[in-house]
Amino acid sequence: MSDAAPQRPLPTPTRESRPYWEAMHEGRFSLQHCAACGKVRHYPKPVCPHCFSMESEWREAPLGGQVHSWTVCHHPFNFFFKQAAPYVVALVDMDAGVRVNAPLRGVSENDLRIGLEVRLAFEPATKEVTLPYFVAGSTAD
Amino acid sequence: MAHALRDKAAISGVGETAYTRGTQKSGLALQLEASLAAIADAGLNPRDIDGVIPYFPGGAVAEDFVANLGLPDLALSAFVPMGGATCVAALQAAAMAVATGVCKHVLISVGRTGYSGARASERLLQFPVFAQAGEFEAPIGIFAPAQLYAPGARRHMELYGTTIRHFAEVAVVTRRHALLNGNVVMNKPLTVEEHHASRMIADPFRLFDCSLESDGGAALVVSAADRARDLRKAVVTVMGVAEGHPDSPASIAQRPDILEFGLAKAAPRAYAMAGVGPKDMDLAEIYDCFTFTVINQLELLGFCKKGEGGPFVMDGRIALGGELPLNTHGGLLSQGHVVGLNHVIELTRQLRREAGKAQVTDAELGLVTGYGDMGDGSVAILRRAA
Repeated sequence: MSDAAPQRPLPTPTRESRPYWEAMHEGRFSLQHCAACGKVRHYPKPVCPHCFSMESEWREAPLGGQVHSWTVCHHPFNFFFKQAAPYVVALVDMDAGVRVNAPLRGVSENDLRIGLEVRLAFEPATKEVTLPYFVAGSTAD
Repeated sequence: MAHALRDKAAISGVGETAYTRGTQKSGLALQLEASLAAIADAGLNPRDIDGVIPYFPGGAVAEDFVANLGLPDLALSAFVPMGGATCVAALQAAAMAVATGVCKHVLISVGRTGYSGARASERLLQFPVFAQAGEFEAPIGIFAPAQLYAPGARRHMELYGTTIRHFAEVAVVTRRHALLNGNVVMNKPLTVEEHHASRMIADPFRLFDCSLESDGGAALVVSAADRARDLRKAVVTVMGVAEGHPDSPASIAQRPDILEFGLAKAAPRAYAMAGVGPKDMDLAEIYDCFTFTVINQLELLGFCKKGEGGPFVMDGRIALGGELPLNTHGGLLSQGHVVGLNHVIELTRQLRREAGKAQVTDAELGLVTGYGDMGDGSVAILRRAA
């Protein structure tokens, strides 16, 4: 084992996902939509599984959603997260029609429930990469 | 008309190393040790093996078996990259190979240094299917199986009232069974209170809801059923077998129903091939990476209705002597983690009546599952040949 500080796992954008991360870096939640049938898909992929079109476009999506389920991470499987543990990660049904998995901040464990209204927010992890997290509340600012 | 694969293949030999926490042996050495034991159990010579399906990613390729065992004419080298569903799905591939005459004797093997080598969260990143989970979920703090599967368990609790008491029952009964087996990592009794008091890993999973990180190897030989009749042991045939892949296979998060996975598709096909149903089973060996995973699979297998898996495991039903004895060897929770090949081995031994103190009286027919890779599923129905 080295003594170096544990590194945060970071996304390695692919040719398909780069627009998602670029938008996130600018504080925008942008999702891949089929250019032919218009259906949204996440995580990004080359072909629309509904109509098989390979043409897609990126559209900014609403930030609101409802908790589908969650976990509270106590054991830091990666030691980078040791300081943060225990932390809540929520699986959220976004109003945009996809799910996003991200930390939920500012909600106590006892208040967690399916259907809880949350809103996606943005947090720079490094100079290049911004990651999503959730806070409680509806999208109306 | 009976399915073309029904009862055409047999498990002719099984072998295991000691299950431990700590070993000096490599994963390959563990696989080879278990393989030699399985081949000897069948009464075969290593050179009789002409098909090899090593666990992937597990550090060994079929060529290692050619080099170490001097296999003169390997006719099939295959990987079945389905995580915990691999071993039972490999049984399907092996059965097809021996039933068609492509191979005579196919070896399926696992060697794992889960305790002394790389741990689960590190191993996961070697799986090709985890690329997107690695990109979108690892950075926000979700990368170990416990963390990936916990939201499903939590949702089941919220929707159906499943409790940690139900989880504990699976852990405690499995441990009780392990104590009857001489080759286990966890060899002390476990109580419900000890389960509840164990430290939280990823809510709702506590330590004793999680399978072991252990070292060990396991292997089995699949032969054409008519050839197996000339070998050493009582013939156990593959009556039905199937694999299934969930919608959104590379991400649990994006799956429409996070409590439905590959087994929901595989189970009806396996039952149809075998011509039997859940009520016909004398016992079951259910892939137990987590206690809740057992409960969830019992529902998808049709042993009970959706949402009723928690109450189903209570009141002695899944213990030896109960209606459906489960994981009679101690499973991944208490015996050792060799990706569920130990479950197939245990079912084979039960049907041969070689299960010692854990023997289910007059066991004729049983079922074994695999589960992994974020929701792939596999199931085999084995029977003692008349």
